[in-house]
Amino acid sequence: MKMSEIKVLVVDDEVEFAISLTERLKLRNFFCRACYSGVDALRLIEENIPDVVVLDLKMPDMSGLEVLSEIRKKYPGIQVIMLTGHGSITSGIQGMEGGAFDYLMKPFDINELEHKIRNASKNIRPAPLGTGGAE
Amino acid sequence: MNISSQKLANLFSRILFGRTDGSSYRRFRFILFIGMIGISLIPVYVTTALHYNEYRALLHREERDQLRSSSLGGKSRVEAYVEQYMSVVRFITMQYSYEELLDQNTTSELLENIRKEYAGFVDLGVVNTDGTLQTYAGPYRLQGVDYSDQQWYHQVLVRTVYVSNVFMGFREVPHFVIAASTKLPGKQEYWVLRVSIDIKSLEQVISRVVAKEARDLFLVDANGLLQTPSRNFGGVLDRYEYFSQPLKNVIDVREKQFNDGQEILQAVVAIENSPWYLVITKVGYSQSDVWKSFSGRIRMIIITSSVLVIVVIFQVVKLLTDRLKDEEQKKRALLSEAEHTSKLASIGRLAAGVAHEINNPLAVISQNAGLMADLIEISKSFENREKFTTSINGIQNAVERCKKITHRLLGFARRMDINLENIDIKDLLHEVLGFLEREALYSQIGIELHIPDDLPMIVSDRGQLQQIFLNILNNGIDAIGKDGTLTITTRVLLSGMIQVAIKDTGPGMTPEIMKHIFDPFFTTKEANKGTGLGLSITYGLVKKLGGNIDVVSEVGKGSIFYVSLPVTNPSRRDENV
Repeated sequence: MKMSEIKVLVVDDEVEFAISLTERLKLRNFFCRACYSGVDALRLIEENIPDVVVLDLKMPDMSGLEVLSEIRKKYPGIQVIMLTGHGSITSGIQGMEGGAFDYLMKPFDINELEHKIRNASKNIRPAPLGTGGAE
Repeated sequence: MNISSQKLANLFSRILFGRTDGSSYRRFRFILFIGMIGISLIPVYVTTALHYNEYRALLHREERDQLRSSSLGGKSRVEAYVEQYMSVVRFITMQYSYEELLDQNTTSELLENIRKEYAGFVDLGVVNTDGTLQTYAGPYRLQGVDYSDQQWYHQVLVRTVYVSNVFMGFREVPHFVIAASTKLPGKQEYWVLRVSIDIKSLEQVISRVVAKEARDLFLVDANGLLQTPSRNFGGVLDRYEYFSQPLKNVIDVREKQFNDGQEILQAVVAIENSPWYLVITKVGYSQSDVWKSFSGRIRMIIITSSVLVIVVIFQVVKLLTDRLKDEEQKKRALLSEAEHTSKLASIGRLAAGVAHEINNPLAVISQNAGLMADLIEISKSFENREKFTTSINGIQNAVERCKKITHRLLGFARRMDINLENIDIKDLLHEVLGFLEREALYSQIGIELHIPDDLPMIVSDRGQLQQIFLNILNNGIDAIGKDGTLTITTRVLLSGMIQVAIKDTGPGMTPEIMKHIFDPFFTTKEANKGTGLGLSITYGLVKKLGGNIDVVSEVGKGSIFYVSLPVTNPSRRDENV
């Protein structure tokens, strides 16, 4: 693992999705791991703290929002990008309110995610809607 | 509104109006109209009829009273006349003896003297006990005539003084006779003084009888033969066929229908000591001009006021029921809109669930295909690289299409509440046109967009804006039918609002239709095709978002809908999203 590599954790109960996404991110020079539940995610984060967590909103054991709030509490340095299948920004906004860095609606283009991850690692936030100002 | 209260409202309107369609309003209007007319006109009619009858009865009574008093006056006048002549005759029989009167000279002299005072005396004769005219003074040659068979002679023997009917007698001139019988002293035999009287004097008396408004006034005998000439029923001794003998001492007043159809009031009264009856006829009040003009005026007033009342009530009822109908229709529009909304909401929820379920597998497909593409790209040599890349692109394109569909479905689901977000009108219009492209293509309708790139973003509700433009564009496509152009132009107004103008090349609208197009249930589409709600919902949505909607149209040239929207939403201006 190179020092310049950005460490990413993909959390999604959709196993196939998580695996292929992880593979693709690896191909794009990220240090990437995948897990399939909120509980596993928190355990993995404890083992090896990632720079960015890509987190699905809706999961069976522990919802994305719960995982998010845990991460924010314990590891304020980790940036979280929420994934939502709702196709609406409402759920994304919930994530933003919970302290997520950004959100993406499924299905998405890998380049978009890559761009957001890189921004997150540099902590370049997108302009919040309506206000036009930073945090 | 929930379903039970909606049912309650339906039930209420059913109770009030029967069936809840157009005919129930017509029935309600009819009942109200009839009821109000009844309430206002019946009292008028009843009062008028009462007064009318009262007045008629009063006239009737007055007229009869008047006729009765005229009859009474006439009766006493004629009786005085008869009495006068009778007393002259009685006086002669008392002053002169039978023997004296048998002398021709005495008799002639006597006649001459009497005629100085009483012009009516024509002649004077003395009839002996056998009934033969013994002495005669007068213009006719009657001496020696035998009266023993004549009726008057028998009567006078019975009654002492007798006044006869008018008759022709031996002289063939109408006259009447007053005769008085006197007993010869010491014998059971009677001689008779007989005077005949010219009926001219009788006519004179009759002409002096005062009877107001009388049509005719004359004397008849018990057989209905005229004793004095009448104005309407012929001359002396002609028959008055409407005569009926009254009771004694009674003035008989009654209505008679004459042969010519006229209603005549007739009074008959017996003249005492004579065989005569005084008859006065009079045109009934109902035939009189005064009465005719009175009832004419009454009729006029009644008709005029009835017409007036009917017209006014008609207008008032129309106004009232129109207002009611309007209210009811508005209420129903609201109900229906609520129903429509809740239907959409449940469809939306269903769609949202489905879309969410599909988005996850789509993401799997997309990422796996992407992985495949990535792997192919990094491998140095790969057989059929081109074909694989094309296939993977095909998969990605399909995913993209599915994504559009699911996002559209989710967009509908969010229509119900206002969810404010930054919206690029241009993107939104493209999204909406995405729904309509196919339809427009089939109908060969070209769609032109003129949207400047520097158009500001607006804060509004995406779903509701989608529906607004969808409705207007759909309307435009329906209006054009086939072959035409929809032109969408946007610009920033001076007020800062953003205006979207949607122009179609359809047939346009008349001002009459234009006035109603935002009214609920107003539709020009054929039955079962349009609900008449589309534009009214659109109107409501635009207003809800703080915007305005307007339409300009010209028959034959098409219509332009102008939707202007605020850049910031007024209801949530201070809130960030």
